[in-house]
Amino acid sequence: MQHAAFGTSAEVRIRLGGPAGFGIKAAGQTLARSFVRAGLSTFDLTEYPSLIKGGHNTYHLRVSPDELFSHVEPTDVLVALDRATVDLHLAELTDGAALVYDPATVDVSDLAPEGLCLVAVPFDDIVKEAGGAKIMRNVAALGAVLGHMDFPIEHLAESLRAQFAHKEPQVAEQNVAVATGGWEHARRNACEFPHTLAPIEGAPKRILVDGNEAVGLGALAAGIGFYAAYPMTPASSLLHFMATRAEKAGVIVKHPEDEIAAMNMVVGAAFGGTRAMCATSGGGFSLMVEALGLAGASESAVVVGLFTRPGPATGLPTWTEQSDLRFAIHAAQGEFPRVVLAPGDRADAFELTWRAFNLADVLQTPVILLGDTYLSDNRQSVTPFDTASVQVERGELQVEGDVEGYLRYKVTESGISPRVLPGVEGAQQIVNSYEHDERGWGSLGEDASTRAAQNEKRMRKLELARTIVPPARRYGPQEAEVSVICFGTTKQPVREAMRKLAAEGLAVNMLQVVTVWPFPADEVAAFLRGAKRTVCIEGNLTGQLQGLVREQCLMDVDESLRRFDGRPFSPEQVEMKLRGVAGRA
Amino acid sequence: MPEPSEFDTALKPTWCPGCGNFGMFTALKAALAELGWEKSGFAVFWGIGCHGNGADFYDVAGFHALHGRALPAATGFALTRPDMRTIVIAGDGDGYGLGLGHFVHSLRRNVEMTCITHNNQIYGLTTGQASPTTEHLMRTPSTPAGVLEEPVNPVGLALASGATFVARGFSGDVAHLTGLYTQALQHKGFALIDVFQPCVTWNKLNTHPWFRERVYKLEESGHDASDRQAAFELSMSTFHDMTCTPEECRVPIGVFFAEEGRPTYQDGLSQLDRPMWKHAQAPRDVAAMVEELG
Repeated sequence: MQHAAFGTSAEVRIRLGGPAGFGIKAAGQTLARSFVRAGLSTFDLTEYPSLIKGGHNTYHLRVSPDELFSHVEPTDVLVALDRATVDLHLAELTDGAALVYDPATVDVSDLAPEGLCLVAVPFDDIVKEAGGAKIMRNVAALGAVLGHMDFPIEHLAESLRAQFAHKEPQVAEQNVAVATGGWEHARRNACEFPHTLAPIEGAPKRILVDGNEAVGLGALAAGIGFYAAYPMTPASSLLHFMATRAEKAGVIVKHPEDEIAAMNMVVGAAFGGTRAMCATSGGGFSLMVEALGLAGASESAVVVGLFTRPGPATGLPTWTEQSDLRFAIHAAQGEFPRVVLAPGDRADAFELTWRAFNLADVLQTPVILLGDTYLSDNRQSVTPFDTASVQVERGELQVEGDVEGYLRYKVTESGISPRVLPGVEGAQQIVNSYEHDERGWGSLGEDASTRAAQNEKRMRKLELARTIVPPARRYGPQEAEVSVICFGTTKQPVREAMRKLAAEGLAVNMLQVVTVWPFPADEVAAFLRGAKRTVCIEGNLTGQLQGLVREQCLMDVDESLRRFDGRPFSPEQVEMKLRGVAGRA
Repeated sequence: MPEPSEFDTALKPTWCPGCGNFGMFTALKAALAELGWEKSGFAVFWGIGCHGNGADFYDVAGFHALHGRALPAATGFALTRPDMRTIVIAGDGDGYGLGLGHFVHSLRRNVEMTCITHNNQIYGLTTGQASPTTEHLMRTPSTPAGVLEEPVNPVGLALASGATFVARGFSGDVAHLTGLYTQALQHKGFALIDVFQPCVTWNKLNTHPWFRERVYKLEESGHDASDRQAAFELSMSTFHDMTCTPEECRVPIGVFFAEEGRPTYQDGLSQLDRPMWKHAQAPRDVAAMVEELG
């Protein structure tokens, strides 16, 4: 049975495609910024191979007057900078879709244009006429997209002027001239565009942000003083984000020799009382694991970003997956408390990051932010982050003055031993990777009762953690035909599918496990007990979240949907599964 | 001004009787006392090995880090606490094995800190296996037919990596070693002191008598410590092997090279104007940065 498409008739999906090195993503983001300036909502999805030049790159942009939760599969306007783009994406075009191309470089004479509008625009000629560089063909294409949609050009012009504000004024004006050339050319086209998307005057302000930017802003808001990272996709852009703001904001940003150094530096900075963080993907995290254990043993307050891409080993560097859940929870030898938070979207990423620093400080233990490429790489228009809500809680920490008879690892009921920073008079202490006594001495840590007492003291912090970590979030109605459990970014396509199904009379609710460790067994069990049919949706092969549900709740879900081909779940795929679970396929 | 004994804790060192670590322990406490360093003014980072067991014996603010990783942990501290000084105490197995990459990068970074390496040319704590500085062809439990690799040359490697202060000490000459420490601790930049400290239990070749017959002091030999090329040639030509006689094989101790005035890594960080924990006394205002994303 054919189901209706996602979104209203006002919604438009645009795909730009071409070889790597053509500036596809940058051009797409310029277009997204223009729509956001026009008061609309956007959600983008960049797909690219791990190459600098060549290979197929695409940028998919969804634009709507309504709030968007995720990307979708279909395309209404396909901009093809090469013929491969046409062949790879023809099947996803909707009825009345447009193909925008330069006939001088892309030959489409073999295509039957039934239900398809061929918008031939001489990108290269337009660029030449304006005296621009060849790379500016993208800008001509952006103008053509808007022209075909009968959408005003001024937001794009504004966006280009802002983008090139730091260059000679003629650069911006040349870009605007090229965009306008493309726009005017496409407007001469006779086809009717079946969608009516218009700017919204006086719409509330939105920002355009990807997950790494959201994490970076959360860390800055939290008062981070040290960030260390070795480049690894998809975490690298966070390193760039922090580095460009380091001097002005007052943060030391270090790109060291490897992830081992990065993580050890972060632990050393935390010893000095500085709020410190690193981020990487699974391969880099593998190298950090020993120092993660060091943070646990030494009771160091550190935040680690683990932004998953498909593994194992080098895997698929530029694609997405949710296969590091168990790794994040179990990494490092021995037993120690940790908190693992899984942001599901950009607003989550900002909030959970600043909260991660508070949790790390209060609990004096590592906190892991578990994200993925889908979150890191893709931008979404969102309400500006609520920076006024940010709080700094440093826990039991003495930074100045003096102290006598200090015991760094004093055994307490809560498991929290007050911290006194090096530099405070009398704060002699050994922060230790060895098991240790209350003073921090390793040689006395071998005593059996001391070992047991320190081990239990540390793990008591996990009980404290349970009372202060962010709770799981429920979406949808209390009563539903289908109940979904998920973590991380899978929340986004699930919310998109839920909205559509609700409008069609199928009630679905969802529990997003925000703190994946310590696992919220009581909340999950209560959710499952109150559900009719349950399904666990997650981006891995073996069902890592479902396994946790079984292990921690002694319960199971009725069905599961897993994806492990490097691509994020689409709402279409989720919708189909939810219909099936409800018996309404 | 503190006395050397004020840096003692209630615990007595557990190193083997006669271990070279005792001389290094005495010399460092003496240098700290001589320089008048207050305990609240510096932090010490150790790796894992017999040297690291010293963490319990110094009454200081310290961090007993992972095997081979004392340098990056110390770097994180040094780059965020400009109000304190940083000392690293490493071992040859620890610092020149797993830690060799960090060693080279720390040198080229010229982070302001002092790195003292206990070099006994053997793994002590894990019972006598070959270390990266064990002599070529020496037999150990992990190399019963003899070590087939050339030993790491810490002084030469440091010089080649852009070191601004490189010295070699001998734990059997505490007064001389104390002098090297006081110079290194005052150096503005990354200071390396590689110290031969015989392992009396596992290294039956490079013993106290072996060194006593071979060491000589650079400052008495006319060596120009401002000449990197001369220092490098010296580090290569005197790099001893296990078969050499006391006459052939002379082991220089002292300052190989010292250069003042080269910018440190910290000098390049204009934002390092306060202890970096001070940025977390209240939320940082990022509203303008959020707005920029519009």
